[in-house]
Amino acid sequence: MAMILEKLPGLTKGLPGGELLLTTSDYFIDLGRKQSMWPMTFGLACCAIEMMASYASRLDFDRMGVIPRASPRQADVMIVAGTVCKKMAEPILEIYHQMPEPRFVISMGSCANCGGPYYDSYSVLKGVDRIVPVDIYIAGCPPRPEALQYAVVKLQEKIAKMSLKKGLATPQQEKGSRDINA
Amino acid sequence: MSNATQELKTDQLFINLGPQHPSTHGVLRIGLTIEGEVIVKAIPDIGYLHRGTEKLAEVRNYHHCVVLTDRWDYVSAMPNNLVFCLAAEKLMGVKTTPRADALRVIMCEMNRVASHLLFFGTYGIDLGAYTPFLYAFREREMVLDLFEMICGARLTYNYIRLGGVMVDAGPDWLKRTTEFVEYFKPRLDEYDTLLTYNPIFMARTKEVGIVTAAEAVDWALSGPNLRGSGVDHDVRKSDPYSGYENYDFDVPLGKTGSCWDRYFCRVQEMRQSIRIIEQAIAKLPEGPFMASGVAKIPKPAPGEAYAHVEGSRGDLGIYLASDGGISPYRMHVHAPSFINLAMLQEKLVGMKVSDVIALLGSIDIVLGEVDR
Amino acid sequence: MTNDEIFAKISAKFPKVEKAAVQVKDYLTVRLAAKADLVPFAQWLKDNAFDMLETVTATDHLGPVDMKGYIRQQNFNPFLPDGATPQIEAVAVAGYAYRPVMDLLYVFYSVKDRARVFVRLEQPRENVSVASLTPLFKSADWQERETFDLLGVRFEGHPNLIKILTPDFTVGHPLRKDYAHIKDRFDE
Repeated sequence: MAMILEKLPGLTKGLPGGELLLTTSDYFIDLGRKQSMWPMTFGLACCAIEMMASYASRLDFDRMGVIPRASPRQADVMIVAGTVCKKMAEPILEIYHQMPEPRFVISMGSCANCGGPYYDSYSVLKGVDRIVPVDIYIAGCPPRPEALQYAVVKLQEKIAKMSLKKGLATPQQEKGSRDINA
Repeated sequence: MSNATQELKTDQLFINLGPQHPSTHGVLRIGLTIEGEVIVKAIPDIGYLHRGTEKLAEVRNYHHCVVLTDRWDYVSAMPNNLVFCLAAEKLMGVKTTPRADALRVIMCEMNRVASHLLFFGTYGIDLGAYTPFLYAFREREMVLDLFEMICGARLTYNYIRLGGVMVDAGPDWLKRTTEFVEYFKPRLDEYDTLLTYNPIFMARTKEVGIVTAAEAVDWALSGPNLRGSGVDHDVRKSDPYSGYENYDFDVPLGKTGSCWDRYFCRVQEMRQSIRIIEQAIAKLPEGPFMASGVAKIPKPAPGEAYAHVEGSRGDLGIYLASDGGISPYRMHVHAPSFINLAMLQEKLVGMKVSDVIALLGSIDIVLGEVDR
Repeated sequence: MTNDEIFAKISAKFPKVEKAAVQVKDYLTVRLAAKADLVPFAQWLKDNAFDMLETVTATDHLGPVDMKGYIRQQNFNPFLPDGATPQIEAVAVAGYAYRPVMDLLYVFYSVKDRARVFVRLEQPRENVSVASLTPLFKSADWQERETFDLLGVRFEGHPNLIKILTPDFTVGHPLRKDYAHIKDRFDE
């Protein structure tokens, strides 16, 4: 499927009205991708409890098509919820590389954004964007579950802007999260 | 093949119950060496959430340290705040007001209810029962709503401060809490029908992970893990703090020390917590909610203090040493989850692979407290 | 059992054990004279109903903590002017007796009598090495590993004295007062 999608821009260039065919297929492919995002359960610390609360009865995440998958091979998005310690950084990288493309990362909570309350600790990684490219940052300590759902909505808007012509990677994944011009 | 009595050659397999796992309650890694279905060696590997709070406390104000304490046992954060404030108040020689004590008791017991609800839900999920999780979170959200109403935060409250509490509980909040308590009592019977006497659940937990009373004391277990083995030790009864001697409640004990006994202790503790909350609200004294002698930047005289409370996970203690400066000179946390987890390396040997999660879930650890 | 009763029983058997100069508030704190007393004292406590070893830890009395042990950036928020967010630095307090000792602390509890004893043992800070209590109390296992990992106290006779909390690439013992953080590959 991904091979067909990659070749699609080249195939449609010669056809009359080829660009229109591509933008319509963009719309449907992005619709399929964003309305059924399956995150990987990657709860590290306190933010994981708020993530669990957003999956549970009151703020059902399933109504947005979001189902937690335990294995990275079946997941689209990795929600890094909690403090990233240096000992955990390598497992995070391994798991990120096990996810199939297109993949996204949501950094939840101030510990994953920038180190949080442990900004001067010897064993805390100051922000998960030092090792993986992050698409959405959620501020809070811990952020409310509604904030996490809003972040998923924002990610859906971001996916809607993706286009086959530009390839499967988001600008963050090409240039890195810290490039503010991306 | 030629010799009928030739033994089948078997091999040992090393499995990583890795740091990313849906059932390990956080980032815990257990290296299991198994032979068939039986575990031969188990090595728990922790430190994936080690944030160094004991070192950070040495460059934080005493009021700032209360913020750090929330994040140890993040599922029930009020007792963490309380134990640090008790130790710091002992150091500074500050006496809290009766109203502050009663409010602290109400908050800690409500947090115990919320924490045991989460245990109930996640233990069900670990063993394959998905429904109790949704029921438990329905009630837990109501408790978190009440906390949000009084202090603004759902998870890391920072409500119990040095000398008292942050803000007073008005009559509206007390009315809503009383309504919640009335609503919650029949729910506990509902949970019993869901999980407690379920034959599959009992078959998976009744004979698993038996810890005798002598073993439990040797491993220095605390909380429902110790009481599940029949040892009657509850900090609220043996070393009362914040006025617990004025409330009438029982301490549930288990009989054999199996996973089911520990689970049952926690479910019964929820009932007792509801009793304490009712009594505390009925007897709530008037008066100020914060003691008057606490400085903006506290500088206690050189000395040492130790305070401990009955947290939801067990006996949570803090040892504080001061040299007269604005930060603690040494803060050590006696973390119940860290100490309870140590028995895993011995208990898992000889068990089947499918019983690992049952035992791990029944110890009820929170990795923030294990690694600090 | 009150603190005085416990101390009377202890002094009857171990006359060299005395009350510590700084008492932990409301609890009985005793001081051991030498590190050879540790195992006999622990054995006697275990035989006399103090069967739970609650805590094993240590305090480093060298001085105020060295700020090189923390990863501090002078201006971590580029949108604020310099000096807008002052950070707390550890300073020496005049009049406090800092001394180069490692002060070990053991807390024993008796479930039957509901009594608690704090036992201190002071050792010179360099190459601290005491006997392990793991053969007597199983709860000493992980707590001694943690004390070794964070403070550098070696326990002889421990079955598995390796790091437990800090990652493998951390050099040194972080909770010591003179710990200077060495830049690893995750720091900027």
